[in-house]
Formats: sequence, structure tokens, C-alpha cells
Amino acid sequence: MAHLNISDVTLSFGGLKALSNVDMTIEPGLITSIIGPNGAGKTSMLNCVSGFYHPTQGDIFYKEKKLTHASPHQISNMGIARAFQNLELFSGLSVLDNLLLARHQNLKYSFLQAVLFYGKASRVESENRSFVEGIIDFMELEAHRKSLVGNLSYGVQKKVEVARALTLAPDILLLDEPMAGMNQEEKEDIVRFIMDIQKERNITVVLVEHDLGVVMDISDRIYVLDFGEVIGSGSPEEVSQNPKVIEAYIGEE
Amino acid sequence: MSANSWLATGNFHTTYQQEQKTFFTSLDRSVFSFFLLLLFVWPLLFPLSNKYMLVVDNILVAIVAVMGLNLVTGFAGLISIGHAAFVGIGAYTVASFCRTMGDSHIIVTHFWPVLIVISGLVGAGFGALVGLPALRLKHLYLAIATLSFQMIFQWVINFMSFFNQGQTIHVGRVFWLTGKVGRTDHYFFWYYIILVVVVLLGFGVRNLLKTRYGRCLVAVRDNDRAADAMGMNPGLTKVYAFALAGFFAGVAGALHAYLYRGVGFESFTLHESVSYLAMAIVGGLGTLNGSFWGPVAIKFLDLQVEHLAEIAGQYLPSSMNLATALKPFTFGLVIVLFLMFEPRGIANWWRIAKSYTKLWPFRY
Repeated sequence: MAHLNISDVTLSFGGLKALSNVDMTIEPGLITSIIGPNGAGKTSMLNCVSGFYHPTQGDIFYKEKKLTHASPHQISNMGIARAFQNLELFSGLSVLDNLLLARHQNLKYSFLQAVLFYGKASRVESENRSFVEGIIDFMELEAHRKSLVGNLSYGVQKKVEVARALTLAPDILLLDEPMAGMNQEEKEDIVRFIMDIQKERNITVVLVEHDLGVVMDISDRIYVLDFGEVIGSGSPEEVSQNPKVIEAYIGEE
Repeated sequence: MSANSWLATGNFHTTYQQEQKTFFTSLDRSVFSFFLLLLFVWPLLFPLSNKYMLVVDNILVAIVAVMGLNLVTGFAGLISIGHAAFVGIGAYTVASFCRTMGDSHIIVTHFWPVLIVISGLVGAGFGALVGLPALRLKHLYLAIATLSFQMIFQWVINFMSFFNQGQTIHVGRVFWLTGKVGRTDHYFFWYYIILVVVVLLGFGVRNLLKTRYGRCLVAVRDNDRAADAMGMNPGLTKVYAFALAGFFAGVAGALHAYLYRGVGFESFTLHESVSYLAMAIVGGLGTLNGSFWGPVAIKFLDLQVEHLAEIAGQYLPSSMNLATALKPFTFGLVIVLFLMFEPRGIANWWRIAKSYTKLWPFRY
């Protein structure tokens, strides 16, 4: 049974079709990659799944639940977390606070308990702090725990972005170009983290990425988009043999 | 922890609960307690005349209001140009009790703490209502929406006979355990009441900021798209921020009504809204202690300018009316200077001063 079912999704802005009749199934526990040339609709696809856009036609189901018209915060509470391509961090806060913010829905205490900060509020906060520390440990962000996010380097901010999505304790993690603008070493780091996320934490990963080498190496399944249409799908080997994919990437002779 | 509980240096936290503390060292705590004690004791040692006591009381009321404004504008990043109207809502809640039941009704005179809380809640209700445009509007457009609320408030007060067309509505003298609070004790009595309110609300805000209810405010300020993706409802959070500010303003308004023993619309005009905003900026937006520095600085400045104008008035022809000209001038100048040279406000000086003492006895 598929984890996330995207059936016949069309997204259009006026006359422009960003996605047309896209079908995808995301299987649990695997790394599924979405690739395609610039403007193919990869990020639009993620935006549809995470609720920032609503498809004009078609439906998205997650474990039988319909996500088509849900808003982003409802979707993230169902267990689908998202890391953004262009950093969307809370830049005026420390790394620690950024991660604690992602625990918002898991902090169960009343307003009055918060004002008095006695008993439950304090206990729940420190429990969540130790959860967050677990993530910080996992993503190797210890050195930056208390620094303002806005002052950190780009590579570290990208790592914080992934860490924040992880802090939501999701079932599915949507990563939008986590390696864009990074050097070889940082890329290798992130790849290692993605594989650990999948293996150790049993999180289903959906990866949008331009670096074909990385995608072919780590993906279990690949979808190729071009002009908003799925032109190929399957295992990395299948996709790399697909004449349509080769044409879209390299062009005709 | 505890190599030496008086110093920050050399102490390490071993549980997350320790890190939640408001005061990290015994020194912090004792300095704060001493300062608090001083605030409670000084009026007994150096009694001020009614005129100056009123100024001090005024500062405290402004602190309550600015704390609220700082939550919505400083922490949640939603500019509110209608804050005085919210303060007015609080004051007119007390006034409407006086209008309907008589200004010396037992509810007004004996159950004033309840009435202050009710005013706060009414303020919160109006805050949430005015916050509703925040679901669709952002930045300047939202600021204009709050400005329009200020205008609506002034018009309603000015044209409704229930509110005496903005003329003063009298509020009776209150009773305390010792009996009626008389003319000589009035400002003295309210100093203590407002001080207690300030301390309670101050700790409330300090605690709130350590929890999800405070962090979500900062989240929608910094990035409401990401806040949405992280499981917060940004629209609701903004409405909540306005409600919170409305509560503080409502309480401040009720205190203002009791302090002046009357409510008139001229205390809640656009000019007041702008001065609250100025106090928040001078104090330091987005900091708790800024809400204390700002009102103190601006009101103190006002007082000094008044003195200066008085002295200068003796040498200049009376037709020049220096005080009215000098006040807005210095007010504007101070805001411009702060925006240019210290946009983070007086709270930043406090932060710098604290960071110097933190590592003591080491230099770095």
C-alpha cells in the first residue's frame, strides 16, 4: 500500500500549466527522487504536497486521508515535513529556538500553565529540549546550538533547515534541493545525513535535486518531470536508459 | 552546577530545567530582588508631591501598555498604530460601568480588581477583532487597518452620548482594606497597585516567551511561510498576538481610568498611539526590558523639557509659548536619533552592559 498517492494532479496558473496529469506513488521507507530541467515543476509538486498550492484538478492522498485542500500546518501535523529550497529559517532566532519552534504541536500545555511556567509547562519544555538535542546531535549542529541562524554560513543554514524539518518527527520528509549551492564536501555530508535519515529513523524521503550523480546513487525510485509532465519513472537504471529522459536532459542529435 | 553560585563563569547546567531559570546566578537574583524592594520602599522614604507621584504612576501605566505593544509589534512584527484606542477600550469599559451603575456603585469602588481584569478581557476581545484583517493583510496595509480602528474609536466616543461625547466621565474613589482611599493617599495607593500589576505581567511575559505561546509570535514575525510549514497556524497566531496586546492595553486603560478618576477621550488619541510606538522603539522592540526603559525615558524627557521650557519662559515673551513647541520637537528628535544610531533601543545598551559582566573575572 502506497504511502503517498498523487493521482492525476494538474496545477495551472491562469493559462500556464505548471503540472499536468501527474501520477506518483511514494512507497514507505524509500528514497524517491524527483528530477527534471529548470522549470519542470518539481518545486510546484512539493508545494502541492505540502499544502502551499492546491491542485486545480486531481487528488493527493496520504494513508487514505485527502490532502488536496489542507493547509500547510495541517499537513505538517499529519507527519509530512518539508525543507525549503531557498532558506526559510527564523533568522532572528538561535538554532535551538528554530528547532524548538518545530515542536510547536507537540508541546501540550495550556496558556495559563505557560504564563505561570510551573509544573507541566516546564517539564514538557525540557522533555522537548532533550528531543531537540537528539536532532542536534544527529545533524552535528552542536557547535551552533546557541548562535543566531542569520549569522551562520549557507551550508550550515541548509543543515539547520533539514534539522528543523526532522524535528517535526515526520513520516515523510520532503527535501527541496538540499544540496544546491554547496561544495563537494558539504554535499557528501548531506548525502550521508539523508541516508541516515532513511535507514536509522525510518523516514520516507522525497528528494528534489539537480545533482544527477547523487540522485542516481542514492535513490530507490526516480520520477522525471519535464514541462509539468512525468516523462519517465522507475529505478535509476531504468530512468537512465529511458530515451525520453535522455532527450530532455541532453537534447536530440 | 555551582562552583560559585554568584558568578556565571565556571558554572555548567546539568539538566534542561536549570537552563529554563529566569535568573542564572544568585547575583542576578539578589540584584533584582533588591531593586524590586527599592521600588516598593522609596515612596515611603522620599514622599513625592502629588504632581510628581502622578508622573511616576503614569510611567507605570505606560509600561503596562507598552509591554502589550511590544508583544504585537516587537515580537510578532505587526505594526499597530491604534494602541491608544485599545487602552481607551479598557478605560471606557470602566467608564461604561460608571455610566450604567453610577460612579460610586459598589462594583466600581469595591470590586475594582475584577473590573481591571474585565477591562483587560474586553481589550483582548477587541484586539482579536481588529487582528482579523491580519489574516489577509501584511506590513503597511495592516498598520493602516489598525490606524482606521483608532479613527473609528475616536469617532464613536465623540458622537455617542452614552460616552458623554468624549467629555470626562467620573470614576468614584475606591476602597481598600483600610477604607476609602482618600485624596492625599490616592496617587500613593495607585503607585503600589500598578507596580504589583507591572511585576505580575512582567513575569508573565518573561515566562510566556520561554514557551510555545511566545515562540510562535517570533516565528510569524521572522517567516510566516515557514511557521505554517512547522505546524503553526499563522493567521490564528497573529489574531492571538493582537488579543494579547489588547489585554495589556485594556488593563492599562482601566488603571488609567482609576488613576485619573475619570475618563476623557483626549488621553486615547492618535498622538498617544504614536507615543506608545515611540516608547517601544526607544526602549527596544522585541525585548522585554525595552518595555520598561522606553516609557521611563520618554516620560522623563517630557518632564525635563517642561522644566526647561518653564525656565526659558521667564526670559522670553510669553506669547512664544515655548513648552508646546519644544515638546513635539524633542520627541521627534529623540525618535530620529534612536532610529539612526541605536535602532535596537536602550535594551541594547543593557545587553552590552550585561555581556561585559557575564564573564567576570575574565576579560573574554
